[in-house]
Amino acid sequence: MSLLRRIGTLIAKDIRLYYLNRFFAFITVMSLVFFLAAYFLLPRQQEDTTRLGYVGPALPALFEQESGGDGVFFVSFDETSALRQAILDGDIAAGVRIPSDMVERLEAGERPAVDLYASGSIPTEFRQIYALVVEELVFAWTGDTLSFEVEEEILGPDMAGQQVAPRNRMLPLLSVLILMMETLGLASLITTELTWGTLRALLVTRVGFGTLFVSKGVTGVSLAFVQAALLLAVTGGLATEPLLLISFLLAGSLLVTGIAFLVSSVSKDMLSVTGLGGLVLILLAIPGLTVLLPGLTSGWIRLIPSYYLVEPMYRVINLGASWSQVGSQLLTLVAYAAVIVAAGVWTLRRRFS
Amino acid sequence: MNLRRIGILLAKETLQGPRNVMFIMAVVAPVAFTLVVRLVFGDLFAGLPTLGLVDQGDSSLAARAGQMESIRLRTFDSGDELRQAVADGRADIGIILPAGFDQLAASQGRIQLTAYVWGESRLDHRALLATALVSMIRDVSGQESPIEIHQQTVGEQVASWEQRIFPFIVLISIVIGGVLVPSSSLVEEKARRTYNALGITPATVTDVLIAKGALGVLLSVAMGVLTLVLNQALGRQPALLLLALFMGAVLASGFGVVLGALVDDINTLFASLKSLGIVLYAPALFELFPSLPQWISRLFPTHYLMAPVLAIVQDDAGWSQVGPDLAILAILILLTIGVIGLLGRRGRLQPVAG
Repeated sequence: MSLLRRIGTLIAKDIRLYYLNRFFAFITVMSLVFFLAAYFLLPRQQEDTTRLGYVGPALPALFEQESGGDGVFFVSFDETSALRQAILDGDIAAGVRIPSDMVERLEAGERPAVDLYASGSIPTEFRQIYALVVEELVFAWTGDTLSFEVEEEILGPDMAGQQVAPRNRMLPLLSVLILMMETLGLASLITTELTWGTLRALLVTRVGFGTLFVSKGVTGVSLAFVQAALLLAVTGGLATEPLLLISFLLAGSLLVTGIAFLVSSVSKDMLSVTGLGGLVLILLAIPGLTVLLPGLTSGWIRLIPSYYLVEPMYRVINLGASWSQVGSQLLTLVAYAAVIVAAGVWTLRRRFS
Repeated sequence: MNLRRIGILLAKETLQGPRNVMFIMAVVAPVAFTLVVRLVFGDLFAGLPTLGLVDQGDSSLAARAGQMESIRLRTFDSGDELRQAVADGRADIGIILPAGFDQLAASQGRIQLTAYVWGESRLDHRALLATALVSMIRDVSGQESPIEIHQQTVGEQVASWEQRIFPFIVLISIVIGGVLVPSSSLVEEKARRTYNALGITPATVTDVLIAKGALGVLLSVAMGVLTLVLNQALGRQPALLLLALFMGAVLASGFGVVLGALVDDINTLFASLKSLGIVLYAPALFELFPSLPQWISRLFPTHYLMAPVLAIVQDDAGWSQVGPDLAILAILILLTIGVIGLLGRRGRLQPVAG
């Protein structure tokens, strides 16, 4: 039997064995379905403006369409009841009612009262800043503007008005989670074979260590890659730079395969695979938070290998980053994957011997 | 039942426990979940704009910004540090306040500022921060608001996402330790046949089950307290809170023992836990979506494990308010003990000789 046929036979056996485990077969299919459902349930657009309701005299010119920049708009209503209804319906988060004689009272030196209506569904902290917007609106009436000059520098791509939709922000994270799930599956597969003694049995045939690890590696990479690629393909994530994204997914699949080797080399049974794999999964998921909370992108998070998967994938999918912009991260990821696979193979071999 | 034997078995379980990955998971998962929820839901969904600030003098603006509830403030020592922070998205806008800023503002002089803007920041965050900045400069210059603002809430005040997720954290911290540790320990002992070996010792099935359940209870209560401490939600009734946590942990451990008795291998245990997950955590789902009919939550046993704890820590509820739920919890505990007894009589818990 040729080497390639032997590897092919082993891969086919591994995949059959993988799906014989009810638990991992279940979570493999369910996680893909769940992640796809999660993607399609998330909002397809990210609102990046705030609309405030307004009842009162004609707005000052500065506030006719916008306030304090481009992000806060006033929407006029004829009556307070309509304004309140719009808040109840969730069309606007808050609104203000200005007395019709506001300008006259200001000129007379009075301090008129203004009603600010805020939805109970918005965090109470926002009310303070909405109140400040209203104050600035009134300052505009009094003509009391600050002498203010700002030299502005935009850092990074200016996404004003074209914010990344929550579903697309989550997409790289979901792909990485799918890849990481396979860590558990492959580690369990290897541990089961170690426990049953079938791996040792294979080694007394013409299958050598090399063939065995290549077949396990190909199985791991295939299982992980196919699902993650499927997720990206179904969600349209492969629309930009497909080759680059596929390269990242392949390198990521190699990384999780190496981690699976490491986990299985120290696991006794499925219980320990799930426990240890779960801990590794939590660790690898942390860089995903950098996509959700960019403020975390500092220091130690860059030491976690999955950072070089999720962050560049986010930039490729959502900000149109190219090979030249994320190429160095791809190389770092490949290097991490190579080291981890080598460490996994080494520890597994030690366990055999 | 022999207390000395139970003590010996419990000591053995406690020593062996930390070597069991499920034990580690029961400790790590609630803490990790708390941290993730606080990071993600506390920060992301609150969605407050963030102002980065470098104060090159001694401006009172920084203190004012720190007191504002509507914005988050991050201060930096140098312009370079601020620029990098904004580029990384740690602040939506970064401002450098030059030395003598307050005097300049007070003298109504022309103010010149350098502002770094994070390209991915939301438009309204930029606008709201600019408004807040203008307002704070007015404060510094001694300008008073020309109006009086009366705030009114329209519709019902809804809890924040962080508050709505909190029941999940409470349930997870009690249920994971309580259910997972005794069930996996029982199943593992059955799989390794060490459970059968116990049959030839003086220890009775009751001793073994109480020892396994007790470890689940101890871990569950400890993780419950730790999670509440991490969430700064201990309430004002520590004795009542401990009682509610203890009773909840006993019920969860009871479930764990029943599950461990019914299941013979670890694969089936995991598959069962996945299927049962929705039943165990359903009451937290109802807390997550207040628009759902809340009475349905009362149909799930774990509601009576979660509700008293939440009432004590969130609403400062006392004995009279949580008493009925605790009474139902006590009945559920007795029922679970009854089920364990029934399983024992049917031979599900008897070690197999030979």
